[in-house]
Amino acid sequence: LTRSRVAACEPLGPYLRVRLERTFPPGEPGQFHMLRPLAYDGLLARPLSAVASDEASVTFLIQVRGPALEALARVGAEVEVLGPFGHGFDAGAAGAAPLLVGGGFGVALLAPLSRLLPAAPLLAAFRDAEAARAAELVPAAERELVLAPGNVLDALAPRLAGASCVLAAGPDGLVRAVAAAAAVAGVPCQVALEAPMACGYGACYSCAVSLEGKLVRLCVEGPVVAGDRLAPA
Amino acid sequence: VSADLSTSVGALALPHPVMNASGTLDALAARAAGLAVDAELALLVTKTVTPLARDGNPAPRVAEVAGGMLNSIGLPNPGLEAFAAMVLPATRALGRPLVVSIGGFEHADYELACRTLDGEQGIAALELNVSCPNVKSGCISIGSEPAETEAVVRLCRAATGLPLWVKLSPNVADPAEIARAAERGGADALVLTNTLRGLAIDHRTLLPLLGGVTGGLSGPALKPVALAAVLACRAACDLPIVGVGGIASGWDALEFLAAGASAVQVGSAAFREPLLARRVREELATLLEERGSVRVSAVKTTTLD
Repeated sequence: LTRSRVAACEPLGPYLRVRLERTFPPGEPGQFHMLRPLAYDGLLARPLSAVASDEASVTFLIQVRGPALEALARVGAEVEVLGPFGHGFDAGAAGAAPLLVGGGFGVALLAPLSRLLPAAPLLAAFRDAEAARAAELVPAAERELVLAPGNVLDALAPRLAGASCVLAAGPDGLVRAVAAAAAVAGVPCQVALEAPMACGYGACYSCAVSLEGKLVRLCVEGPVVAGDRLAPA
Repeated sequence: VSADLSTSVGALALPHPVMNASGTLDALAARAAGLAVDAELALLVTKTVTPLARDGNPAPRVAEVAGGMLNSIGLPNPGLEAFAAMVLPATRALGRPLVVSIGGFEHADYELACRTLDGEQGIAALELNVSCPNVKSGCISIGSEPAETEAVVRLCRAATGLPLWVKLSPNVADPAEIARAAERGGADALVLTNTLRGLAIDHRTLLPLLGGVTGGLSGPALKPVALAAVLACRAACDLPIVGVGGIASGWDALEFLAAGASAVQVGSAAFREPLLARRVREELATLLEERGSVRVSAVKTTTLD
């Protein structure tokens, strides 16, 4: 458990980019930390994945939905940090022609991965142009952004043929559909999942997700899992 | 003067009074995440094992609420056979004494677990979970009825020579009545308390937030309820008591000792602070030193008696 402090907090579309002083390791792309602002008097920390880091800071993208994240979105706020925890993306297994696929807020998880795989194109879907600003975090040179009511699966189909691996993050329905499409095309796939989480280190069994027909702890098995372990959406 | 934290639960001597609450720690997963939580605990309490493997309840399984959290985990576990073959040896290899929590849906489930685990090395006691509020039968239905509680403890008593701890629910009119029933059945200690049943409503859908509809309340809001149960049961029977419910500091632990507990368990507060047991132990030592009452075993006799 380490202490950190919010060094900066800037809006990005409907989201907030929260930069913490780097008093802890940022982790591999797709891993997560448990963050708890000390000003928040609730019991639990919140799981978040780092979207960027430099020598002085580690950045998270948040969507304020309650008092815990509200307290995190204050410059100077003191924060307890646990982690990094979990299995992230395996960039080394992505092959010669990886493809990043994201949706909404979750696209932020692909940002540090894109820095490791600069040649990988980004295909991402958003509800509107404001939400699509989250894609600004991802440095991929080649990018295709689909806005609702467009369908990311239509855009995905022609790209799958040449892909060596699909690396996906976003809403549950989207990543499960992407995993199913990749499976049909015979393309390996790594998918970042999300689940409500109380501890992050395997203790609480809160973050149950269905993999291969069994409920398992996402913090232990994931949060990035092989796409073929998901049942089709 | 440095405090002597040693204590005992019945015949079981412990170097200090702080252990984990069942279902709030997987010591092996914690190790894999780089956290040696086990080293901070007087002994390790396992997650409840049932005769057959269980997946647990549908998601969401956790909801933060004012004063704590609700959980509706639903006792996921690999089943008794796989537990004995794999989880138990791996956990034993950590080198800590173990308390194995057992649960079930009928009396025979508890008896089977007692028989199966009776000859196993490294088990300091069995904790009978007759108080989980998150399953549809057994558990809390047994622990809500004095006659049922007495019968299941008696059956277990005949099935094993291991010490039997009985973990009780606060969701009863009179915990002391259940405590006396456990004592009559042959229990060696009480664990007070499990969670309180609660409900959280999703503001968007106005439907229950948890997949299991209701869940068990833990955290700071549970502490006064658990303390009252400790006091009531201590007056009602002669069994040693392990206190649990909302413990997050040395002060909290000292309150439970003062109310009559011989040891304590930390649970949901450790979710945000994995090495909480160490801080509780250190703060407790400091508090005892400051008060000039330097032995854990002396706390209850210098206060309420």
